[in-house]
Amino acid sequence: MSASTELPAGFEALEPFVPAWAVPGAAERAERRVSSCEADRLAFYEAAKDLLAPALSRLDEKPLDQFDEKETRLMHLMLAFAHVAFAVEVQGDREAAHAQSARRMRITRAPADL
Amino acid sequence: MNVPASSFQPFEEDVAGLGKAPIPTGPYYREDYFELEREAIFKRVWLNIGHVCEIPEPGDFMVRELEVARASILITRGKDGTIRAFHNVCTHRGTQLTQETAGKRSSFTCRYHGWTFNADGELRSAPDFERFYVDKSDCALKRVSVDVCAGLIFINLDPAPSQTLGEFLGPLVERLEALPVAKATTFSEYVYEIDANWKVTFDNFEEVYHLRFIHPRTSGPASSPENPFGYPLRFNFYGPHRGHTFWKAPNPSFTPLQLVAMGKMGQNVAAEGFAQAPNNNEYFGLFPNLFILGQPAQHFFHSVMPISATRSRGVIRLYWIGADDSASKRFAREYAMVGARDVHAEDVEIIEAGQRGLSSGALEHVHFQSQEVLCRHLFHTVDSMVQAYKASLDAGGEAR
Repeated sequence: MSASTELPAGFEALEPFVPAWAVPGAAERAERRVSSCEADRLAFYEAAKDLLAPALSRLDEKPLDQFDEKETRLMHLMLAFAHVAFAVEVQGDREAAHAQSARRMRITRAPADL
Repeated sequence: MNVPASSFQPFEEDVAGLGKAPIPTGPYYREDYFELEREAIFKRVWLNIGHVCEIPEPGDFMVRELEVARASILITRGKDGTIRAFHNVCTHRGTQLTQETAGKRSSFTCRYHGWTFNADGELRSAPDFERFYVDKSDCALKRVSVDVCAGLIFINLDPAPSQTLGEFLGPLVERLEALPVAKATTFSEYVYEIDANWKVTFDNFEEVYHLRFIHPRTSGPASSPENPFGYPLRFNFYGPHRGHTFWKAPNPSFTPLQLVAMGKMGQNVAAEGFAQAPNNNEYFGLFPNLFILGQPAQHFFHSVMPISATRSRGVIRLYWIGADDSASKRFAREYAMVGARDVHAEDVEIIEAGQRGLSSGALEHVHFQSQEVLCRHLFHTVDSMVQAYKASLDAGGEAR
């Protein structure tokens, strides 16, 4: 596998998901979840579920304010995964209906955005 | 015959001494009743409107709009570190003073004629003031009573509150001060508006009877065959306030990912010293419109602010101690917020459906069962204050 240009080494498998999911802002991550299609959520979930723990271990090696661009992307990707995991693991086939109500719950602040 | 032992026995008796009668529906949609609540309750009791971590430094300020009182409240932290609250109203001709919602300022200038007030409310300067017929010392911003418990900022719009905040909260002061919120420095927040009366909205969160129907997936771990509705272990009453103690299912199942996230959060909670804290299984309903989950892993505060008789705003905050200082902590906090938000999103539509039915006037009464006693308690508390207020009006008391 060729080296990732977008993410730290070892997380190349997640590179295809960077454009759609590695976004700053908890509200934007929530919006990506509810505006995504099931196939895209499942693909991201399957690729990321076994990489969450290694990604957090890798990122925990450094203070948050010293992340380089690749590490920042990986952080954002894992935060988006928190949203997608609920859609896939918990809501399942109710996600489309759930999304309508979820849109009404506007995220106005998150520590990750400060 | 051997009777199988069960660790759960639901309350069957009238635990609060509130009777078993049906509850009238009018208070849940009628405009005239809402007008009485506005005066009898929301302009007289202590209301949580924020947290000290929002204005940590001298000069910090925030503004809260309280539609129920038709009031805009300016909360400042002065140079002396003291938190003060004022009506956000210029004392010249009543213009709303600042349009900002939060920030840092040593003074506030009215855009209409340039009257400028210090953060302690005093009128500092006013152009051509010599032509007025009043002293500057009589033109300070109108003060609003403010006090803090467990880091939570409360205001009271009554010009002469009948109780201090401590008297109002009573035995809950000590309980609240023991919660993580008392040490919080930041929070996650999400907000919704809903076409429902504030009590209809609040009642949804005061009973667990609905969990298996509205939250079959998000709240699955809250029940088991011996307690299929996940009813509380006990109900608790503290004057106008109330609560319950959560029953914990013996063997809840979680996905591998949930276990990773819960493990990360568990590390945070343990490091903060709240792993075995006394209020971890407690639900507190603070009169009139705030409820709190004591559990530190999902320590959320949900206030339901009335906008009209049939419209409200929910503000949910998860309070955290310390800034994110690691990727794991950041992930665990976002995951906890998404989980709480998923549950609350599931409630919105059913609450509105309930309101539509009530507002139709089809029913004269609704029914609360023994496990919905907190809803009954809220109604009785509200109605006793409304009736007392009406009686004072009838006796010639002055409406404020």
